[in-house]
Amino acid sequence: MIAPRVRPPTTTSSDPIQSSPLALQPELLQAFLRMYGVLWSRGCVDQATKEVARIRNARRVDCPICKAIRFAGARREGLTEDIVDRIRDDWSERALAPRHKAALRAVDAFHDAAGALDAAAKRELLAQLTPAELVELGAGIALFMGFSKIAVALGGLPDEIPVHEQPTPAL
Amino acid sequence: MVESRPLLPTDARMTWIPESGPGDTEFERVFALRPELFAAWRDFAELFWSRRLVDPVVLELCRLRIASMLGARQPLSLRRPEAALEPARVAALDSWWRSDLFSETERACLRFAEQFALDPKGISDADAAAVVAALGEAGMVAFVEALAIFDGFARFTRFLEIEP
Repeated sequence: MIAPRVRPPTTTSSDPIQSSPLALQPELLQAFLRMYGVLWSRGCVDQATKEVARIRNARRVDCPICKAIRFAGARREGLTEDIVDRIRDDWSERALAPRHKAALRAVDAFHDAAGALDAAAKRELLAQLTPAELVELGAGIALFMGFSKIAVALGGLPDEIPVHEQPTPAL
Repeated sequence: MVESRPLLPTDARMTWIPESGPGDTEFERVFALRPELFAAWRDFAELFWSRRLVDPVVLELCRLRIASMLGARQPLSLRRPEAALEPARVAALDSWWRSDLFSETERACLRFAEQFALDPKGISDADAAAVVAALGEAGMVAFVEALAIFDGFARFTRFLEIEP
C-alpha cells in the first residue's frame, strides 16, 4: 500500500468520492463529475466498449480502485466477468469483439507509445468506430489514464479491493 | 484552453480523423465532434488557470515538460499567458535538473510531474511530501488533477495526430 500523501477532508458523508481527498477541491470535483457524467451517460460509444478500455487502463496503471469497479451500464450491455477476465496482456489472442479489440489497441498505444498508432491500428479503429466515437474513446482513455494515476499518486488505497458494481456516472 | 501563437513550425501532417466540427485550431475542430464532452472538458481544464488553484508558472512548466517527454507537438506549441514564461526557462526545461533557473518548488513539482507521467507508482513518499510542503494539501490535489489533464490529453493529441 502506498501511504496517503494527502489527508481526506473531515466529513460525515458516506460517499466515497465526497470523503476522498478530491473533495479538498470541491469546484474541481463538481466539474470533473459533470465531465465524467457526460462521457458515460451522454456519449455515443457504447458503455461496454468504454468499460473495456477503462478496465484495461486500470490494469496497466495498476490502480486498485479502478480495477475493482464495474459500471452497471456496461454489465447491462452484456460485459460479463468472463469477458472482463480476457482483458489481460494477451488480449489479442483471446475471443473478444473486434470493436473491443480496437479499443484495447488504443489503450495500449496510450501506454506504450504516448498514444501514437501505426497505419494498421488506425485502419482497424476506423473500421470499428465512427469519427465521433474515436474522439470520445480517445478522450475517455485520456481521462481513465489521468484519473487512475491520480488515485495511485495520492496513495492511501489498499492493495486489493473486491470487485463491486457502481452506478454508471451520470449528470 | 487559452492558446497563443504556435511556436513550432506547422507541417502538412493532419489528423487521421476524416471529419471535423467548427473551431479555430485542429484540436478544437476534432474535439468538436463531441461538443458536449468538449465543453465539459474545457470547463474542467480551465479551472486550474482561471481559479489559480496552483501557481500558473508551476503548472505551465509541468505542462510543457510532460508534452516534451511525450513528444506531443500540439501542447508543446502553446503558451499559457497566465504564466508568461521566460524563453530561457523554456529552453532549459528539458534539463531542468542541471539548471539554476528553477526554484525549489518548481524542481519538486517537475520531479513529481515527470514520475506521474512515467509511472505514478514510482513516486516516492519524499517526492510527494516535497510537493505537499510547497503547495499544501488542497494544492496537491489540484496539482495532480492538472497533471492528469496534461498527461492524458498530450497522449490524446498524439493518438489523433492533432498537430499545432
